[in-house]
Amino acid sequence: MEPISLTGTVLLLPLASALVIMLFHGLLKNVAHLVSTGVSIIMFGCALIFLGAEDQPNGLLLYEYLKVGTFTADIGFVVDTQSRGMLFIVTFIGMLVHIYSLGYMKDDDARARYFGALSLFMFSMNGIVLADNLVMMFIFWELVGVSSYLLIGHWFKKPEAADAAKKAFLTNRVGDFGFMAGILILFGLTGHVSIAQLQGSMESGALNHIRDNYEWIITLAGLGLFLGAMGKSAQAPLHVWLPDAMEGPTPVSALIHAATMVAAGVYMLVRVYFIIGASHVTGDIIAWIGGITALMAALMATQQSDIKKILAYSTLSQLGYMVMAVGLGGPKEGMFHLYTHAFFKAMLFLGSGAVIYACHHEQNIWKMGGLYKKMPVTFWTFAIGTAALMGVPLMAGFWSKEGILAVAYPEHGHGNGILFGMAVLTATLTAFYMTRLVVVAFFGKARGKDADHAHEAPLVMILPLVVLAFPSVLAGYHFLAEPLQALVPNHHEGAGAKVVMGCSLVAVIVGFLAATRLYRNADKDPVNIPLFANKFYIDEFYAGLVKYGQDRFAWLVTALERIFVDGLTVRLPAALASGLGSWMRGLQSGSLQAYTFVLGLGIVVVVYLAVFFSTKP
Amino acid sequence: MSPLSLELGLGLLGLVLLLVESFASVPRKLIAYAAIGGLLAALAVIVSGAAGSVPDSLKEFYVVDPLALFYKGFAIIATLATIILSLEYAPIIHQFVATHPERTKEAGLGEFYSLPLFVCVGMMVMASAVDLITIFVALELVTVSFYVLVAFMRRSAASLEAGVKYLILGALSTGLLVYGMSWLYGMTGELSLSGVAYKLAHWEGNSAPILFAVGLMLAGLAFKVGAVPFHIWIPDVYQGAPTPVTAFLSVGSKAAGFVVLTRIVGTFLTPGSVVAGPVIQILLILGGATILLGNLAAIAQTNFKRLLGYSSIAHAGYLLVALACIHTGGLKMTSGEVAAFYLATYLPMTFVCFLILSAMRAKGYGEDIASLKGLGRANPTLGLALAIALASLAGLPLTAGFMGKFFVIFATVLEGYYTYLAIAVIGAATGFFYYFKVILAVYSKPDGPSEGPTPDLGLLSKVSLAVFVAAILVVGVYPDLIRFALVK
Repeated sequence: MEPISLTGTVLLLPLASALVIMLFHGLLKNVAHLVSTGVSIIMFGCALIFLGAEDQPNGLLLYEYLKVGTFTADIGFVVDTQSRGMLFIVTFIGMLVHIYSLGYMKDDDARARYFGALSLFMFSMNGIVLADNLVMMFIFWELVGVSSYLLIGHWFKKPEAADAAKKAFLTNRVGDFGFMAGILILFGLTGHVSIAQLQGSMESGALNHIRDNYEWIITLAGLGLFLGAMGKSAQAPLHVWLPDAMEGPTPVSALIHAATMVAAGVYMLVRVYFIIGASHVTGDIIAWIGGITALMAALMATQQSDIKKILAYSTLSQLGYMVMAVGLGGPKEGMFHLYTHAFFKAMLFLGSGAVIYACHHEQNIWKMGGLYKKMPVTFWTFAIGTAALMGVPLMAGFWSKEGILAVAYPEHGHGNGILFGMAVLTATLTAFYMTRLVVVAFFGKARGKDADHAHEAPLVMILPLVVLAFPSVLAGYHFLAEPLQALVPNHHEGAGAKVVMGCSLVAVIVGFLAATRLYRNADKDPVNIPLFANKFYIDEFYAGLVKYGQDRFAWLVTALERIFVDGLTVRLPAALASGLGSWMRGLQSGSLQAYTFVLGLGIVVVVYLAVFFSTKP
Repeated sequence: MSPLSLELGLGLLGLVLLLVESFASVPRKLIAYAAIGGLLAALAVIVSGAAGSVPDSLKEFYVVDPLALFYKGFAIIATLATIILSLEYAPIIHQFVATHPERTKEAGLGEFYSLPLFVCVGMMVMASAVDLITIFVALELVTVSFYVLVAFMRRSAASLEAGVKYLILGALSTGLLVYGMSWLYGMTGELSLSGVAYKLAHWEGNSAPILFAVGLMLAGLAFKVGAVPFHIWIPDVYQGAPTPVTAFLSVGSKAAGFVVLTRIVGTFLTPGSVVAGPVIQILLILGGATILLGNLAAIAQTNFKRLLGYSSIAHAGYLLVALACIHTGGLKMTSGEVAAFYLATYLPMTFVCFLILSAMRAKGYGEDIASLKGLGRANPTLGLALAIALASLAGLPLTAGFMGKFFVIFATVLEGYYTYLAIAVIGAATGFFYYFKVILAVYSKPDGPSEGPTPDLGLLSKVSLAVFVAAILVVGVYPDLIRFALVK
């Protein structure tokens, strides 16, 4: 197949599926899930073929979307290693999540709506991956926001879910504002939005000139784009929506809030890396925000008791890793971690879904325990995922984490000792909290009757776990990474490499040992750090900000508005106008004689104006 | 085919229908349908471009240019809408016409359906008239037909009162107009507008008599279009006249006045004309005063029909200002075309309001704004249509009304008439206040607990309602639809 028809299919098929399901919701009640899943399988097939497509330096044009003068914004596709690899990940995980959802959402009343939204999400995500210009990317960016909103709020009758959906949407708005500002700055500087053209301009064109003379503008544009990525990839301080988003169905958490949508921010940063890399300030800020997010989220994860929340904070932490790598001048390292992380984190989420399913929607790990015997497949796959996430040597996560640590190591071009230390600490904490999760949930004795009666999940749910176990182990090796078109970072050599390797190993061992010691046979959490359990009180801080800052400001603004806007500029003229109006109404007496008199007066005035009052107007 | 034959044909159709009304006992609805059919056929001829031209010998009196064709089409559509509206309003006409309403079923209705045809003929001739006599005769054909229509409900005191007021004040204004015309003829010796224009451009000597004539003529025409202070008849006549006639007056009669005004002002403002300065001055002052008074006085209205009357006054103000802005090259339209565009947007929104008013009236509701309460719930379609029409009258973006106002305001900017720009903006802002008050009523709960009958429309009215609402929305985003028809 031609690349254009492949990408066209990948983009339009899920749209068709979403539209059909949403329009004929009632009619397709019993087949919608099959339609959507079938579409996801076809998409995956297309993505596989697409892996062999040739690079297209000029992109592929599907449809000329917007044309004003010489400015164009098209629906066009970029074909390079990055897009091919990412499309594979998105469609692969997407397909597995569709299949898994067949089991997980079997008894849901609104299953058709769920699968419709899932198709819409696939459409939007594919659009981001394939976008060859920033306007198209922004459009699909927003569409991803919408479908995420729909999916988080799938159980909208639960107030928490509705609130979480709203929170995710609003928080993302803040980021999107920055994204748009960034796009507008670049558009203002160059007059186009195509990524290829912008890159060309950065190499030898207007942007190049501007970078040499006014670097701050480029910094500003880069930071704007990064703000967009901060929203989608949940970087501090815009991370608050992601843990709450766990109110959505678990397969959604796996697809959107672990493997794909949240990765979109990193993907976008790597796409526009030529802008970010052009300014040191941008890179530094990005690296620091990524590092802080990674460490802070890891700290919070150590004190959570909800299985999905732990994974959510872990996701935050890993996203912070990726962002830090990009900021430190390692876009390939960031993308490589995105690629490995997608597999094992999706698997962990799906595994947690199986656990939750088995325990009748119990999510508190302190009410689980002893599940390894009852759910062997889930346990083993979960253990593999955990090992991969911890960075146990030879697992997928090991290679990619290694790469990031190497970028952060002071010997590397942009490396930074403090960030390196933070990254190692994060790795230690990761090993710690993941071991804690596995030990508490799967070992010991059952601490609740739901856990006591738990049994293995059905085959459609197990199957994706098993499938994902393979890349979780093998994705880091060249024989798999190369055909899947992952951006494999260059191997780091030198004295630093050994130090990095050593730190990484020590981190895993320390974290693992500490957690096993602390949590083996524990019935309740022996450690209690309210600061971490309460997520550094950031939500409370925001609430306070709204309450004491925004509300008071709003009060002041209202008062000013009442006096000046409402009073002086609206009510006063309105009163004047009504007064005049009533007076004019009074002129309309109904008496014909009076009317004739007015008419005569009018004639006199007009004739006077005409004959005697002839100045230019 | 000459467009003149369209006018003759429609006039003949009107006569035949009057005869049928008198001597044959056919269902009166058929008369309306025949009129509608004739009008549709004429519209088809005009739209298809088959109207052709007139022999050279007539060109002194009668031209066929895009503006003329546009106004002819406008006249036909307005007449069509009026007849459809009349079908809706028939029960009330009948009630106030027949001596024994319960015995005679359709007394007087046939006449009511066929008279608008004569107005239409007058308007169509006027659209092409470029000669003082032709203009005057056509204008009087319109006005005289309207005298009859306004006073048509002879058993309603309000209708009769409106008729008398309109007749007397109308006669006064006609007198002014003819007096002005005769002065103009006396001074220039010309009846054709082109001749007058040539004389004005090469005038030597005292210009006071010419200016006197110009003043009188403008005053007379200001009456027809309802400009301050010659608007004085409008509220009473609009309120008293049968609703379809009110609609026809506010759209048709106004358009008739403006087509004449466009031609005559165009003559006065011919390059090098001695009267150009004062004419622009008068147009602007009248226009500004009209915008202010129309909008301000509308605020205090409680009767919806009367509100629409003031609204029509306010819109006339914008039209006058539009005519005064002659340097509109930036808009790629002449000032006359800006005015024509404005009128074309004004037609659908006004007719939608009157259609719904008729529907309410036919179900026994009053004409107060308060009686619209609950419409949004009782008949959401009508409620929404009315809301859209009112939003368009106010000039909400994405509606046709916005585009009309936009062009006028743009024209004032191009001319640098900042005072009038301010007035236009103040007027528009005021408009939002009182139009949205009506929308608020549409969507608020009815005062009483009793649920009245649900207002509804007949099929023809529904179709025209849909067409008008669609036109409001389409022109609101794609104004070129009308501009193409205008600027060939």
